[in-house]
Amino acid sequence: MCKLYILKNRSAKEMLHEVLQEQGITDIIVYNAYGKPFLKNKPFYFNMSHCLSYSILAISSKEIGVDIEKITMRKNVLERICNEGEKQRIQTAEDFTKVWVKKESYVKYLGIGLSYGLKNVDTLKLKDFVVQKVDDYYIAVYGEDLSKMEVVFR
Amino acid sequence: MKEEVIHLIAEVLEIKEEQIHEDTNFIQDLEMESLDFVDLVAAFEKKYHIEILDKDIKTLQTVGDLIQYIEKKHV
Repeated sequence: MCKLYILKNRSAKEMLHEVLQEQGITDIIVYNAYGKPFLKNKPFYFNMSHCLSYSILAISSKEIGVDIEKITMRKNVLERICNEGEKQRIQTAEDFTKVWVKKESYVKYLGIGLSYGLKNVDTLKLKDFVVQKVDDYYIAVYGEDLSKMEVVFR
Repeated sequence: MKEEVIHLIAEVLEIKEEQIHEDTNFIQDLEMESLDFVDLVAAFEKKYHIEILDKDIKTLQTVGDLIQYIEKKHV
């Protein structure tokens, strides 16, 4: 089971509470040492991200990480987080944003965040990403069994 | 050092220097996202020729934390 909610002008946390209510789950959110939230009894895994007017929430039966970002180019960031192969392939702001959301979704999947070191995430080797463009935003999801992921716009 | 740091934060985040104080929290007060934070880290590494370790990033919660970190690293 994997579902991605793409939300406009709605909070991902509210959506999560709605899902929990729909499924009759009473559970509390706790955080790991790096600040990743999860449900204490793990009835499912979830991950959230937001950027300006968009929020996303992914729920899954397995560990998952997501990120959303408006298309942008940050040259200093590119230099800091990309390996040579990635740098050669980044020509546009769209290319950069796709790499950024992939790296972020992966470190959020791991539950370690920026402490993992985004340069250590090789987006040319890791293959299990789903990347989607919505308006001027890119979304990346990293996890297992994403081929049957359902996407819901709210 | 303090003034320089505040000036650079304002420049990277495109906000006014008046909004930034030593006790300003990057997430709670400035609502910074990861991308802004990495942009900021990269700008400080470049300006002061230092390396800010990835594992240290989450310890830099306030402007004061960042000033202290740079002072220790920038000899």
